[in-house]
Amino acid sequence: MPVVLLERLPLPSLRTYVTVSVLLTSCAIYYAHLAQNVALGRISDPSSTQTNTDGAPKTPPTWPKTSEGYFYDKIAILIGEGWCVWALINMAYCCLILVGKLIQRIVFGKLRVSEQQHVKDKFLNFMFYKFIFIFGVMNVQNMDEVLLWCTWFSVLCLLHLLTQLCKDRFEYLSFSPTIPLSHHVKVLVLLAVIQTNCAFLLLLSVFVGYVYAGINIFAFMAAECILLMTKSMYVIVRYAIHLWDMNHEGVWENRAIYVYYAELIFELATLSIDFCHHLHMLLWGHIFLSMASLVICMQLRYLFHDFQRRIRRHKNYLRVVSSMEARFAMATKEELEDNNDDCAICWEGMDTARKLPCGHLFHSACLRSWLEQDTSCPTCRMNLSDPSERTTQAPVTGDINGNEPRPDAQNNDLQNQMTNHFFHFDGSRYVSWLPSFSVEVTHTQILGNGLDVNLAPIHTSQLDNMARQVQEVFPTVPLSSVVDDLRMTHSVELTIENIIEGRVTIPPAGFPSRTHQSLLTTPASATTPPPGGAVPVPMGSGSVPVLPSQGVNLLPSLGGAAMAADETRENGADLMDGHDGLNEPGARNLLLFGDSKEEPSAMYGHRFSKSAAERETMLGRRKEHMLEQARRRFASRQLSQGCVDDNSTSYASLDHQENLYPSLNVDSAIRFTSAHVPGSEASDGQQDIANSIRERAYLAAQRRMRHN
Amino acid sequence: MAGSALKRLMAEYKQLTLNPPEGIVAGPVDEENFFEWEALITGPEETCFEGGVFAAKLTFPSDYPLSPPKMKFTCDIFHPNIYSDGRVCISILHAPGDDPMGYESSAERWSPVQSVEKILLSVVSMLAEPNDESAANVDAAKTWRDNRARFNEIAHQTVRKSLGL
Repeated sequence: MPVVLLERLPLPSLRTYVTVSVLLTSCAIYYAHLAQNVALGRISDPSSTQTNTDGAPKTPPTWPKTSEGYFYDKIAILIGEGWCVWALINMAYCCLILVGKLIQRIVFGKLRVSEQQHVKDKFLNFMFYKFIFIFGVMNVQNMDEVLLWCTWFSVLCLLHLLTQLCKDRFEYLSFSPTIPLSHHVKVLVLLAVIQTNCAFLLLLSVFVGYVYAGINIFAFMAAECILLMTKSMYVIVRYAIHLWDMNHEGVWENRAIYVYYAELIFELATLSIDFCHHLHMLLWGHIFLSMASLVICMQLRYLFHDFQRRIRRHKNYLRVVSSMEARFAMATKEELEDNNDDCAICWEGMDTARKLPCGHLFHSACLRSWLEQDTSCPTCRMNLSDPSERTTQAPVTGDINGNEPRPDAQNNDLQNQMTNHFFHFDGSRYVSWLPSFSVEVTHTQILGNGLDVNLAPIHTSQLDNMARQVQEVFPTVPLSSVVDDLRMTHSVELTIENIIEGRVTIPPAGFPSRTHQSLLTTPASATTPPPGGAVPVPMGSGSVPVLPSQGVNLLPSLGGAAMAADETRENGADLMDGHDGLNEPGARNLLLFGDSKEEPSAMYGHRFSKSAAERETMLGRRKEHMLEQARRRFASRQLSQGCVDDNSTSYASLDHQENLYPSLNVDSAIRFTSAHVPGSEASDGQQDIANSIRERAYLAAQRRMRHN
Repeated sequence: MAGSALKRLMAEYKQLTLNPPEGIVAGPVDEENFFEWEALITGPEETCFEGGVFAAKLTFPSDYPLSPPKMKFTCDIFHPNIYSDGRVCISILHAPGDDPMGYESSAERWSPVQSVEKILLSVVSMLAEPNDESAANVDAAKTWRDNRARFNEIAHQTVRKSLGL
């Protein structure tokens, strides 16, 4: 874009510009005044021109005209003189800018950086295209006509920029739940004013077209007006929907549909009008071999692509909706009651819902918007893509040998891959930006990979994932066997082969495969916020407290804590035996915050204020508190390291830490917690003394640090 | 879209305030913009980040929860899965479509049932157990693998710095 250069130009500040403009205009007026007087002198006393020029009488007694006539005379002189005209035009622009600035001040206040940037971009773009239009397409030669067009586009530009600002501001305001009504009213009033102005300009264009310039000019002018009108109308409609939604309690299920169709209609309307407008320019201007035509062609191409993209998206939308409606039935009343949970996507209650084959319920609208971008169940990742669509794709032998298949594709098409060892993934069928490719996987290749390449130690999270994939195919095989086999093979495919060929040892049916159970139920539990919230997740529970007997170490990279919570709830009893009252928040704080007497989360955590300001201050205070706590702990830890004779058992010393690091497993978690237990068991009196010692030590440590 | 995102964020904020997970505080700094949060994360115990309080910025897209938020540490932190500018690289923050490292399974990635709380807990576990196979900060990954003592030392410095001591 040519705007890059322009941005580097040092523009004068508004204040200097206004001052210069005013000075220039007053100079012009003064000049006109002088000139008029000279002229008057000539009229009143034609014999003595000489005296008049240097005398310049201010109010000659023989004033021949009225003051109105005097004014018109002056205007005539101003227009007659070249530089005066420019000064006046400049002044007009100055006024326009001031008006714009004033409106911006009143309605929007200070502009945000992104808004400023948008306005600037929009302004430069607009200038560029209108310049092309005036001098390239219309090929205007006459100064008066140029002036008229410039005026027209300046007004339009101002309105365009204001609309852009309204749009940006609307998007910004919709990001916050606590905006006073007056803000909304201001923006809406401005939008209404823009609409009226557009209507007025449209009338003007009809008038101009009808009386002077003919149908083509009328079409050009009207297209601009209508474009602007649709744009501002779109913002108004979105605004109305948003305000209605905000003041509407509960879920408004059809909201998404309204928003979607509003967007679709307005976007298509804008694009088609713009397209016709540009096409008209190209055809009317007879400018096939010029720079202007090139620019317009580029613009046409861009608009056309946009249009196509939008239509494609809409087709995808329709396809998703129809397939969703055909394949996922609405949940019955009983099912809803059984489920008795909020929609996992929007966290709102469900009066109506759709049920997926895996049994998960979602709002229709939420599910639809998710399915538009992905074809798996949000909760359990079950593949939901239409089987009929997949079978229509003929398997093609692959040519991408070096590349790994996309993991999601691998996931989706695992079943296909199983039977014929090669699959074709046509991403654009699902989402337009996904690539299409096909991959051939032969048995020998896998073996080679498995034996030679993948010998590096495999990561637990990867193992977990691979195990999931295998279990999608063989839900009956217990997880522990799968994981064991995966440890050896390091490959999903090989393990599956092994299972098929019976090489995997499956323990007798009596074996309780609890990990397997909990692993599969994890996503379901993940959707529900833990009741009561007192989830006994010990801090630093990066590792899951899996019972060692189960022999599976899962890294909870996905919803790890939820898993942990789940496990802990299940195995709560076992853990509780080791450390009494781990479930109790107070006790937990004692364990975790070592020497803190206050209970941080109890103090600040259990209240959610209705007022935004209060929430902000509460949040700030909680943060401060946390930092303060951490500082204390840090200082006391430093201290316990420094003093050898101190009862360093209360704190994990550094070398102790080093030994455990990095395998943060259950054992270390237990050891860590139990290391703190003596402190909590101490009687009150002892604790007071201990606290005062620590307090003093803390101060000493701080002093020492300052010295350092 | 922003309307439903706003409601959901409000619900999450409420839940995080009422039942905060240990060692985590998160919420919008300025309620004028509910789509930018700041989170404080305590370094997990028994790791080299123990005791540190790390500040991060979460930026939500307007179609949240359909797309994942972005997370960026605003304090210095030297970790294999955190870019040197603070951006966090974990699979839960990646949309099912994009796959910067080319190895993640879609099962680990973002889905609308994830939440801020789960992201932050995942980050805590990431701090505890770096994944040096998908290193965002190659330097850190190398140090972590080859020179653990040095890594711990650097981590200790960041902890100290994060506390403002």
